[in-house]
Amino acid sequence: MTSDRTVTRLSRILALIPYVLDRQVVDVNEIIERFGYTRDQLTRDLDTIFVCGLPGYGPGDLMEAYLDDDEVIIDAADFFAKPPRFTPIEALGLLAAGMTVLGSGEGSPALESAVKKLSKVVMPDADTTLSVDVVDQSRYVGALRDAAANGQVVRMVYRSVGREETTEREIEPWIVFVQLGRWYVHGYCRLVKGERTFRVDRIREIQVLDEMFERPKSPPEPGVGYTPSEDDITCVIDLKPAARWVLEYYPVQVIRESSRSTRIRFHSPDAEVPARLLLRLGSEGRLVEGPEVAARVAEIGQTLLDRYR
Amino acid sequence: MQNVVERVLNLLIYLLESPTPVTSNDVRNTIPGYADQSDDAFHRMFERDKQVLRRLGVPLEFGPGETWEMEEGYIVDPERYAIPDPGLNGAERLALSVAARAVRLGGTEPGVGAIMKLGGLEGAGGFEPLGADLGEGAETLGELFSAIAERRRVQFSYRDQSRVVEPYGIAHRRGHWYLVGNTDEGERMYRVDRMQDVEVQEKPDAFKRPKGFDIRKSVDSQPWETGFDDPVQTEVRFDPDVAWWAARSLGLPEPEGELVTMMSVVNRDAFIGWILSFGDSAEVIGPPEMRAAVSGRVSEAIGQLP
Repeated sequence: MTSDRTVTRLSRILALIPYVLDRQVVDVNEIIERFGYTRDQLTRDLDTIFVCGLPGYGPGDLMEAYLDDDEVIIDAADFFAKPPRFTPIEALGLLAAGMTVLGSGEGSPALESAVKKLSKVVMPDADTTLSVDVVDQSRYVGALRDAAANGQVVRMVYRSVGREETTEREIEPWIVFVQLGRWYVHGYCRLVKGERTFRVDRIREIQVLDEMFERPKSPPEPGVGYTPSEDDITCVIDLKPAARWVLEYYPVQVIRESSRSTRIRFHSPDAEVPARLLLRLGSEGRLVEGPEVAARVAEIGQTLLDRYR
Repeated sequence: MQNVVERVLNLLIYLLESPTPVTSNDVRNTIPGYADQSDDAFHRMFERDKQVLRRLGVPLEFGPGETWEMEEGYIVDPERYAIPDPGLNGAERLALSVAARAVRLGGTEPGVGAIMKLGGLEGAGGFEPLGADLGEGAETLGELFSAIAERRRVQFSYRDQSRVVEPYGIAHRRGHWYLVGNTDEGERMYRVDRMQDVEVQEKPDAFKRPKGFDIRKSVDSQPWETGFDDPVQTEVRFDPDVAWWAARSLGLPEPEGELVTMMSVVNRDAFIGWILSFGDSAEVIGPPEMRAAVSGRVSEAIGQLP
């Protein structure tokens, strides 16, 4: 059992030592900020460093590490002059983070050159072998993010998911985040007078107003997946093998699976999304249960048949 | 934990400073904390500590010791231990640091760990109104990433079938990571969270990535652009309320009112599916056989209703 905490703590120590060695004396507050320490944690790590060193473990063999007033001092630790190389997941995590922000339209020339330099040392062909694209249409992410940071009200034209209607509304944006690969903005919607989450790619246009709002003291954490709510519509669908891609695109529950067919349960805020899915599947998907969805398929289907007659 | 941290630090210093590989016996007799353990307990502790070193990114090597030693030994090459310096300037480090804090992988922050190794976080902390989680099994991703970098084959089981793949690249799309690689049947794409029992084969440089390979081309083609049907020039009309939305998907300038456009379709099934995802807000104007194909699909869907 190697606990994650052990690895995290050691990793920070091995990054801290070379940083201080390089500068010899560093202000304690700078260390606390840079390495995310509390003062107690830092003191404890310095105490640990202080009792480790070369075999023999006598006074001349151990590293020096202590706080002198408000200065961090580390010495006799030349073997740790450089931090250890990235683990693969650290390298990927940092590159992907940079690419994500660049893809959000929030990038800067500095970030672009940072990503280039970083790829050079961890993955020379990163521009053709790694691609992180959270969503193609995210031109408003930057403006929304600034509005959220400044506490400015935003007026927007929005095409709602499911209901498929376009409305104009004012929102108080609290946070901009990514969920299931799409950008979202979460905040208070003045039109429906309640907390709502909006897909950024469905915003047709926005206007950041001069009017300010007050952000709640503890804004919610960015969400992590579709949570079915009580008002949801549920239906059950059998998929033929050719329609298995549905599992990759929608947050569905697999009820049972065989080589010939997959039965799924589909949750959605209304009947529109599963109805359109069934229309596009044709004979590759069959609705097993879900009267509201059946009615909607028949309704849109009839409109289409009349039009194509 | 205190003892583990001290012991691993001492072990790492010993392995970095030793001029020749050291045996597990040397380790046991040298590092405080091992000597008073039973054989079994020592071996368990040592295995765990080596595991910790690997998870820290330490390149622990195993090789022949001095000639008269029977047992092989361990060593850490200081050259390989040290991080290669990407040579970032202050502005670049700051930009990466902000990005690392905004983007997580399955709830973890590997980018932050990496930034620490580059000299710590920069800029003011506090509430960050931008957050992204790219999701999913961080461990597998790391293995795949190094397999791509070192051009080593990977084997895994996917939908209960065992595969051997030459990994060319990975991409994050619509909330999931995808691996693109070469198989006996040609280039294939796999969703990373559906891969099981992933094993990276030993041999580096086991294959060559084709010269023109571009991960984006592999994952981003529109479905109707990849197929083997003869191209059909198809005229489509989108209602004003979806026109801007369709135009964005097609990479066209956004129209004021409705959108009428020609599309070259080489995958009829995928095209019909996409058009029907607009419900009754889009219409195929021509040619007649494409119109018939759309209404045929609709009839099928209605015919399947319970």
